Amino acid sequence: MKTNKNISFEEIGKELPFSVPDNYFEQFANQIDKQIGYNSTRSHKIFRPWMYAAAAIFVGVMVLTPIFYTNNNQRNVAKNTDNYETYVLSQVDETALLDCYVDNNSKK
Amino acid sequence: MDPAEKDLQLQLSQPKKRAAAFSSLVRSYQERLYWHIRKMVLSHDDTNDVLQNTFMKAWNGLDGFRGDSQVSTWLYRIATNETLTFLANKRMRNLQSMDGDEDLMLQNLQADTYMNGTELQQKLQKAILTLPDKQRLVFNMKYFDDITYEQMETILGTSVGALKASYHHAVKKIEKIFSEED
Repeated sequence: MKTNKNISFEEIGKELPFSVPDNYFEQFANQIDKQIGYNSTRSHKIFRPWMYAAAAIFVGVMVLTPIFYTNNNQRNVAKNTDNYETYVLSQVDETALLDCYVDNNSKK
Repeated sequence: MDPAEKDLQLQLSQPKKRAAAFSSLVRSYQERLYWHIRKMVLSHDDTNDVLQNTFMKAWNGLDGFRGDSQVSTWLYRIATNETLTFLANKRMRNLQSMDGDEDLMLQNLQADTYMNGTELQQKLQKAILTLPDKQRLVFNMKYFDDITYEQMETILGTSVGALKASYHHAVKKIEKIFSEED
């Protein structure tokens, strides 16, 4: 496709003498998204609101269960100690207890 | 129809998936369509307007797209019509001007901030400007984008024979301009 000795299509090539502003295409695509009412972040969300609620409940259960369990155990231990003292005292008569008290005081 | 095209058309037809599919369509074709338009209207700002109109027309016309052609062909068709309409309107607005169409386009070309390239590339652009719009379109699509005549036929609705003739005449005209310059 030689045109003359100075200018030919091969010499000119197929590049265009134009340029575009920086980030033009990215901005253009975002602008079209806005115009069609498309929000890519909202639509691509993996987690839905109910998932957050479920996760909060799960974490709550995981944190509160050991606390509740520990308190309950301590209460049971305290209850058992009270029961033991009552049982021991019920096995000893009042006179023996007084003797024990007097002996202890006289040693001091 | 290939599976990717079928899947794309299916997503575009579903109201819930339509916006996401269209958004990725814009990202896939914006650059190709930009250059298709830019070669015709020359100025970046005008190209930006025409490209926006193209995508918004496509978005608003999705229900009318029956899938009898590829989405890309359909987009090219809209972009081409928008470009030719833009140029015709511009010509109408400039009717009262003392300058001819070609001069106005040339001024457009020289005034654009985003115009650079070698002297030869600019000379070619000036020579292309002397062609009628449709011949310019055919020349650009064939010379710069290497689009086949068959693809061009589906986009422009012109027979392969007529397209070949149009390209041949365009080349001859440009060669003549070059020979006269030297």
